Amino acid sequence: MLACVVAMPCVAAAEGPDPAVVLRALARPAPSATAFVEIRGSALLKQPLQIGGEYRRPDADTLVREVRTPYRETTTIAHGQAVIAREGKPEQRYALDRVPELAGIQSSFGALLDGDAQALQRQYQVTAQGSARHWQLQLQPRDPALLKRVRAIRLYGDDGELRCIVTEPARGELQRTVLGAAAQAVAQGAGVVAECEQGMAR
Amino acid sequence: MPVLSSSRWRLLAALAWLAVLGVAGWIAADRLQVSGDLRRFMPEARTPAQKLLLDELGEGPGSRLLMVALSGAAPQALAQQSRELRARLASDDAFVLVANGEQAGLEAIPGHLLPYRYLLGEGVPALDAAALREALQQRVQDLGSPAGAMLEPLLPADPTLQTLRVAESLQPASAPRRIDGVWFDRAGAEALLLVQTRAAGFDPTAQEAALAKIGSAFDAVSAGSASRIESSGPGAFAVKIGARTAHEAGTIGTIDTVGMVILLLLAYRSWKAPILGFLPLGTAGLAGVLAVVALFDGVHGITLAFGFTLIGVVQDYPIHFLSHQRPGVDAWRNVRALWPTLGTGVASTCIAYLTFLFSGVDGLRQLAVFTITALATAALATRYLLPALVDPATRDFADSPALDRLWRAIARLPRPRWSLAGVALAALAALWFAPGAVWQNDLSRLTPVDAADLQRNAQLGTELGAPDVRYVLTVRGRDVEQALQRSEALRGWLADEISTGGLQHYDLAARYLPSARTQRERQQRLPAPARLRADLQAALVDSPFRADAFEPFLADVETARGAAPLRPADLAGSPFAASLDSLLLQGGDHATALVSLSGLRDPVAFAAAAQAHGAVLMDLKQASESLVAAYRARLLWALAVAALLLVATVGLALRSPRRMRRVLLPMALTTLLVVAVLRMAGTELNLFHLIGLILGAGLGLDYGLFFEHAGEGRQDQLRTLHGLIVCSVMTVLVFALLALSSIPVLRAIGTTVALGVVCNFLLALLVSRHPGGDDHAAA
Repeated sequence: MLACVVAMPCVAAAEGPDPAVVLRALARPAPSATAFVEIRGSALLKQPLQIGGEYRRPDADTLVREVRTPYRETTTIAHGQAVIAREGKPEQRYALDRVPELAGIQSSFGALLDGDAQALQRQYQVTAQGSARHWQLQLQPRDPALLKRVRAIRLYGDDGELRCIVTEPARGELQRTVLGAAAQAVAQGAGVVAECEQGMAR
Repeated sequence: MPVLSSSRWRLLAALAWLAVLGVAGWIAADRLQVSGDLRRFMPEARTPAQKLLLDELGEGPGSRLLMVALSGAAPQALAQQSRELRARLASDDAFVLVANGEQAGLEAIPGHLLPYRYLLGEGVPALDAAALREALQQRVQDLGSPAGAMLEPLLPADPTLQTLRVAESLQPASAPRRIDGVWFDRAGAEALLLVQTRAAGFDPTAQEAALAKIGSAFDAVSAGSASRIESSGPGAFAVKIGARTAHEAGTIGTIDTVGMVILLLLAYRSWKAPILGFLPLGTAGLAGVLAVVALFDGVHGITLAFGFTLIGVVQDYPIHFLSHQRPGVDAWRNVRALWPTLGTGVASTCIAYLTFLFSGVDGLRQLAVFTITALATAALATRYLLPALVDPATRDFADSPALDRLWRAIARLPRPRWSLAGVALAALAALWFAPGAVWQNDLSRLTPVDAADLQRNAQLGTELGAPDVRYVLTVRGRDVEQALQRSEALRGWLADEISTGGLQHYDLAARYLPSARTQRERQQRLPAPARLRADLQAALVDSPFRADAFEPFLADVETARGAAPLRPADLAGSPFAASLDSLLLQGGDHATALVSLSGLRDPVAFAAAAQAHGAVLMDLKQASESLVAAYRARLLWALAVAALLLVATVGLALRSPRRMRRVLLPMALTTLLVVAVLRMAGTELNLFHLIGLILGAGLGLDYGLFFEHAGEGRQDQLRTLHGLIVCSVMTVLVFALLALSSIPVLRAIGTTVALGVVCNFLLALLVSRHPGGDDHAAA
């Protein structure tokens, strides 16, 4: 599936767009907010978990991931710490360096919204494919600790809008996060893969 | 006895002797296993704290710890270096534990121990239907969180995440903050590591080797960066102070050697004199070391330090011989004439030192063997070898007009009698009224750590929550199981102490391995398979998880329920084996669980509370000081007997109470005066002062003997005076320089001996001088 998805449109644009240009267009100065839908597949689950909520950046140093369905949970990532608040539970605090996945979100997503191409490139090897209209950025972690868990993060978007984040873990299934208008489409029943990778074909 | 005919042959023989000494000394130094182990040096332990210190512990859990700080680069770079340093050191056998906070995390618990997670850690989780339902809801959210991928592999066997809880509880009691997964100080500027050496903290040689390994590993991982490394802790201090002492002693030794060579050249106007002067001393030292090596398992460092100080007296033997050399008298006849006086001194000193053999302290026995062998060797070398090497004299020191004038002046001096009694009384009074404590038992005070280093050590200790080096809580049991049980019983009280601020952290073996009783109690609280399966199925209804997702969990709980409780041996090779070993001591018929403490606020109150809870707070510093005091008491008893033996031997040799008094009075009075002067100056006396006093007394005995029995004629007395002046000037030169040292141990020996020599010389001059001098003056 992935092979055909990747093979289709990007062959045409062997050159690919300039990542810096794409990133500049993506920049959203804080405060900003965007809806998301995340699909979490696992062999342990009867069916993939579909999580809906909102990513917010109240200020340039803080990223909030608020889950609204099917349960409520707020993760606040700031100052090297992640604070996870669950309904009816005491807050849990983690140092980001103990959870590389959380650190990865902060460094990729945060830098992305900042339009900080340099920060992003310090953390990841960034390559671009597609056209300026329908682009795909591939982020490969430079930190060996993160690379051990996350092989790559692929970002899909149209013009100045990030549509989808696909995380390829070292083990297990692809994890997809659909953002913005695409998230709303998925929430209303559209297929995730269609909204995500295949969106490029539109 | 072959007498070499020509001067050249004699020189060659002297050089050959010197070369043999050099080679033998080099081989001996290479083979010599100098031990810093207090156990060889100290008397037998009597109190429980002493026994713990000497027999089991050897030292506190804190004394093998080195705190390492990396600084001077960006945190990420330091974190990287910290990780690489840990990896390198952890694979080295010299280190028991290398911790930098790197989350061993899930890997912290070896696979075969994983089912035991319900028996280890802080307790059994609730596993009923309600608890499981709640846990499963949390796991759904975990899976949906960004950390889901990390947790997913764990869930089938462990839906309550007990593994994480156990891994968490096995972390050091107080983990500093982490940057990039490794420990940093609060400011985030220094990466911190905690290293436990295999070698004892009191073994400076091994500590130095360990520090060198840390240094070279750091050099390798930090190549090309500006970062620095700093190690702090008892071992690092021992190495630093050892190096400083060696450096200072080396400098002083070099100046001393140059001074002695110049003095001997001036005194004897012969460039061979320094060589001849050195040979008996060198031979004596070597013989002493060989004797100790032959008779004992290892030579204690302090034995060598004390021993070489005490045999300083043999430097005088060749000087007396050289001063009595004169034209027309064969060297052999000369030495035969000196022998009764010299021999009396050596024999009585050796007999006196014999008492050390019966002191019951290994360190003192070694000292006796070393000193007696060395003194006898030096005397015999002077008597039987030196005459063969010395060139025929070309001048007679008795011909010196200056010496003659001095001798006349001395002869005119009054012979004090009752005034000395007044001096002695004044000294006794001074002793009585002198300020401060008489004895200084803290051996570490002799080699003090810089205040800046101590402060830094305290700062790092706070950051890392390193255990107290001085205090440790102990719980005894008849076996490991009982010791573990009794230490577990303390945890409630210890938690109270922490919450009220009496204590910052503690660590104990039961945290890594609960007692078998506790493990069995936990097993009984684990649900039976049917019950657990039913509860799990109830919890899984309406859950997004598949019904068969947690089969491995059911299997693991059943394994844990039926497993034999873990024993210390089962943990061998796991990351916490080192911590367990250092906190659980197994003796022959008992076991001791240690509780390491950090941030202890009020040791006295804590000790009382400990006692009420069936534990004992050991003050290791106090224990080692009481051992020093015990050592000193043995030494003083041995000295008292030695003094009696000395008086008896001298009396036997001199066969006259009056002569005996003249010889012994200066030395006795000097000892009293030196102690009085030191005490009046506020000095607290330590073992090194005592050794200095013994050397001073030995020198004083020789001065007394030589002054008293200075020879028949005036010429002979002049030669004796020459010899005594050279001897005392040289000794004062050597020890006065030591007295100027910045290191208390060198200063203690230096001041005591220098004072003793001056005092002995003057008193011997006044009291012991040959009555012939008076007759001559009268004439």
